[in-house]
Amino acid sequence: MHARATHPIGEAKILLPPGIQRDSLIYVRTLISHPMDTGFFKDHAGKPIPAHFIDAVTVTYGGEEVARFTWTSGISRDPFLTFPLRATREAPLAVTWRDNRGGVYRQSVDVAFS
Amino acid sequence: MSIQVPLTRRSFLRSCALATGAAAGVLGGPGRLLAWTAAPADDDTPGEAVRKVLSGLFGDRPLRRGHVELTLPENAPDGRTVPVFLESDLPMEPGNYVKALHLLVDKNPDIHLAAFYFTPASGKASIDTRIKMRATSWVRAIAETSRGELWYASFKVFPASNGCG
Repeated sequence: MHARATHPIGEAKILLPPGIQRDSLIYVRTLISHPMDTGFFKDHAGKPIPAHFIDAVTVTYGGEEVARFTWTSGISRDPFLTFPLRATREAPLAVTWRDNRGGVYRQSVDVAFS
Repeated sequence: MSIQVPLTRRSFLRSCALATGAAAGVLGGPGRLLAWTAAPADDDTPGEAVRKVLSGLFGDRPLRRGHVELTLPENAPDGRTVPVFLESDLPMEPGNYVKALHLLVDKNPDIHLAAFYFTPASGKASIDTRIKMRATSWVRAIAETSRGELWYASFKVFPASNGCG
């Protein structure tokens, strides 16, 4: 019942909508591969699968923190998240995911106007 | 091999009457039965565990219904991945903005499932994600403004499978 990840942990994507106008409200889609193990399940051999989940996410835009999320293992595996952003300037948008075992995963894209 | 008992109209009616009587007895009469089926359907009064989480987060600040949209499927086929959308229509101006959206699931091991913190630079307080659910439960979304006001919405979800173990 617990299919293992086919992608390595921490492989992340940030997707921006096409045709961004200055000062428009955009919805940024993010996806990261992560097991988000709760610690409540056992593997096929009956051994408990220890808790391993992302508990902190930060979003920076041009180096400034614009949003921050605190998670539990109640977020589904391979977390998908869409959040809003006011596109005020052309600058890099970076997302950092941190898990409860010290894993840090980072991805960034450049917000550019068309 | 089964034993055949001839079923006459009289014996059929008698067994029906007995069954109805037994059911009414168990549930304490028709009035009680109605109350039992009608009341909990839209009663999202939090239980003790949820009240404890709420008071830990917000103290005794009042929660008012409104200004938060919470969208989930009423019947979720897979408790491991239940899509959830939450959004507030409140302004996002410096000095008056939605500081956080909190997501609570009454029957999950972690009741306070996630908190999403925003700034005026976010332009809007909105989140679209997927969550795990253990059992049929109320899901609550609470918007906390920079001025300390609390707005909420609730929705009951019936997952067909357990997503928490």
